[in-house]
Amino acid sequence: MLKILIPTLMLFPTTWLATPKWLWTTTTAQALIIATASLTLLNWSSETGWTSTNPYLGTDPLSTPLLVLTCWLLPLMILASQNHISPEPVSRQRTYITLLVSLQLFLIMAFGATEIILFYIMFETTLIPTLIIITRWGNQTERLNAGTYFLFYTLAGSLPLLVALLILQKEMGSLSMLIIQYMQPAPLCTWADKIWWAACLIAFLVKMPLYGVHLWLPKAHVEAPVAGSMVLAAVLLKLGGYGMMRMIIMLEPASKNLAYPFIILALWGIIMTGSICLRQTDLKSLIAYSSVSHMGLVVAGILIQTPWGFTGAIILMIAHGLASSALFCLANTNYERLHSRTLLLARGMQAILPLMAAWWFIANLANLALPPLPNLMGELIIITSMFNWSSWTIILTGTGTLITASYSLYMYLMTQRGPVTTLITAIEPSHTREHLLMALHLIPIIMLTLKPELMWGWCF
Amino acid sequence: MADYRDAPLASRPKTLDPAEYFAVSPAKRKAEEERAAIRAQLKRQFQLQLNDPRRVTTIEDPALTRWTYARVSNVYPTFRPTPKNSLLGAVCGIAPLLFWYFVFKTDRDRKEKLIQEGTIERPFQLSS
Repeated sequence: MLKILIPTLMLFPTTWLATPKWLWTTTTAQALIIATASLTLLNWSSETGWTSTNPYLGTDPLSTPLLVLTCWLLPLMILASQNHISPEPVSRQRTYITLLVSLQLFLIMAFGATEIILFYIMFETTLIPTLIIITRWGNQTERLNAGTYFLFYTLAGSLPLLVALLILQKEMGSLSMLIIQYMQPAPLCTWADKIWWAACLIAFLVKMPLYGVHLWLPKAHVEAPVAGSMVLAAVLLKLGGYGMMRMIIMLEPASKNLAYPFIILALWGIIMTGSICLRQTDLKSLIAYSSVSHMGLVVAGILIQTPWGFTGAIILMIAHGLASSALFCLANTNYERLHSRTLLLARGMQAILPLMAAWWFIANLANLALPPLPNLMGELIIITSMFNWSSWTIILTGTGTLITASYSLYMYLMTQRGPVTTLITAIEPSHTREHLLMALHLIPIIMLTLKPELMWGWCF
Repeated sequence: MADYRDAPLASRPKTLDPAEYFAVSPAKRKAEEERAAIRAQLKRQFQLQLNDPRRVTTIEDPALTRWTYARVSNVYPTFRPTPKNSLLGAVCGIAPLLFWYFVFKTDRDRKEKLIQEGTIERPFQLSS
């Protein structure tokens, strides 16, 4: 773990001491080296499942894919921000990169934590750099509203979690994940116990987000600058999923009855948010609601607590992280040229930027869960698991898949096909940097198709 | 002008209606001229921006801006609960949750009862 953490810590001096001419090159290069080093975490050598342990941090097959995704995303975020930050003074650019690096650091510690309290503290700490990125570097006036929604929804959900964790610590004596998996399941019969059960999960459900408490997500994703949107969609949502998977092991057997409302909210949310996607005016808003839809499937997969449910959830989290981040990068390439996110304004882009249209095509195919990509793997495994849980879920999940396909296709056709808008007469050609960014997003998805064992988690 | 008459299923367009050209009141003519002047000004603005060699931005369409603002940022201030949209919210947002809760609960309780009685056939599944 330290071989990842110390280079990430050393990114702070790199950011502040590099000469302005080489700032972006050095930070991107160092972040890429960290990402390559994080691939060594995939070597799970221990029988107990937990590897690379020290007294506070450790990795296991559940956290490793998410850790590698986080480390992989930092160079991509720096690459994506290069253009829109360049007009600002150098010290502000350094501050921006420092915020991204500190977010990365907290995320690595969150996914690597073995004590649940450390995970909770890091979960809360990641809110701060994200809030600063959204409210300071966002583009529209609504960013203040977006930051408020983001902060207070997540905080309101996670303060009960703190209380629940302290109660658990008092009961069990330890909150280490290595020990908690062997603890006796509590009967959870009184009302207080049921509220404790809900308090354990609500923070993560708000973060995922679950359909009823998802209002912060479209605002935060839309108003954030591209690096903020990327990290929000790719990693921060998965923090919620990861937390749920860790906590839910010890919440048996009450979860059998108490989880129904949340499973139903998640499943109905797939259809509702998918339908809202078809009526969106704003491109980033469409991608944000599609994130809610996919995460609804993940929430349902986790809450039914079967091995395949968990496996499908992790695979879908990783695949969705990469695909959604790719879509936000593409939306940003449009935004940098037109300074508008309106879907109607940027039509017929295939005629103007054909290579970018190829990336749009692949990213949208990934979003609509085209076989053989891992998006489909995850979705299919969750759908199968839910079918086994109750046969009637196939109606909801099947309709959800249909709606996902239709809004992904709608996004592709609206931005790429059709007549070119007459108002646009001069568009910059695509930069090599943008092509590199898209390649670095989509090639891992394609490669993960060939070795999904990396993502399957510990249920296999 | 030739004598164009209305066909059974197609009425005459305005440009072929003699009343448009003859016997137009002066007030109506003045109004039409003013509207034409405004239209010409707008077209002139657009053409100036379109053919400006130093322009790098896209031409801003105020109608698009207003429409986007109305659809994205002005939703809640212009919302008023009416019987129709409250019914829609209840039907699409609340009733399905209750409906699916009963569907899943009944289905799973039925399966649980069959498992307790031992009548259900559960072949071994490696995956579930």
